[in-house]
Amino acid sequence: MVTAVVLLQFFQHSRNENGDQNHAEFKKALNVPENIGQILNASCFDCHSNSTRYPWYTMLQPVGWWMRSHINEGKSELNFDEFDSYPLRRKLSKLKSIAERIEDGSMPLQSYTLIHRSAKLSDKEQKIMTNWISKTLDSLKKNK
Amino acid sequence: MKNIILGMAMSSLLFAACNNTTKTTDNGSTADTTKSTDTSLTKNSSVATTTVLSDYLKLKNALTEDDAANAAEASKNFVASINGIDKSALPAQQAKVLAEISEDIKEHAEHISSNAGNIIHQREHFEILSEELYDLLKAGNPTGTKLYYTNCPMYNKGKGGNWISETKEIRNPYLGKSMPDCGSVKEELN
Repeated sequence: MVTAVVLLQFFQHSRNENGDQNHAEFKKALNVPENIGQILNASCFDCHSNSTRYPWYTMLQPVGWWMRSHINEGKSELNFDEFDSYPLRRKLSKLKSIAERIEDGSMPLQSYTLIHRSAKLSDKEQKIMTNWISKTLDSLKKNK
Repeated sequence: MKNIILGMAMSSLLFAACNNTTKTTDNGSTADTTKSTDTSLTKNSSVATTTVLSDYLKLKNALTEDDAANAAEASKNFVASINGIDKSALPAQQAKVLAEISEDIKEHAEHISSNAGNIIHQREHFEILSEELYDLLKAGNPTGTKLYYTNCPMYNKGKGGNWISETKEIRNPYLGKSMPDCGSVKEELN
């Protein structure tokens, strides 16, 4: 068993570090205020962008693989680094879904925040996020 | 004209029955009137969206029956129908709307088809899909008969949700069998 775990460590996964760590394009496109940016950094970007900040324990397998599967799934649903290139309709419905997911507490994923404690959103942070999203939706709709 | 007045009266009645505010009724009726001028331009030129609409209605009806498996099946066909729209047969305005919604509406339909085990999630995507389809059909109704743009004020903790129906009679796809007749017609698409 121990040998197996040790052997596992030699299989490191490819890392999701191909994007801008600051996600400046997205932040600029949606005029993201500082406090929202911080919440996104802590709770969203690691799985929903092209650049993940890996905590040390993701160097341990199988935690790293498990993290990778979260990232792959997360990115396929929503990638903030590609957000600005989505057509307007897609932007609107993604934002709407983001707010729904935050509101019903299903995002960030519980199985994820269980380990990544700092990604968990407080009630206040949830509120701040959903308010910002509904404001952003309104301003995007005006340009429709 | 007689029809429009009748329609307005009917929707007012329906609204009253559901305790909606007068403000909503006003919106509904104004939209009704503008609608009838719109469609005169596009009538008979929108048949290209016929199968899209019929797949949508199958999806909608499956949800009214709380039938997630059939909803998944219907939305799979819906994706194919969107892909199959003959764009050259669309009026310019409708082609423009299609270009705007096409990618997104397919994504929602795909989510519905891959979530046969989660009807709540299906309904959430159905809500956005319905909004987008409404925009498309407002630019041209493929049927010779009326379509009813209907609202359920109770869906999603009171945020409400809309859908397109082939019948004036309410059969609610969001609340399904638990509350089949909640809702009211907001607008008639001629």
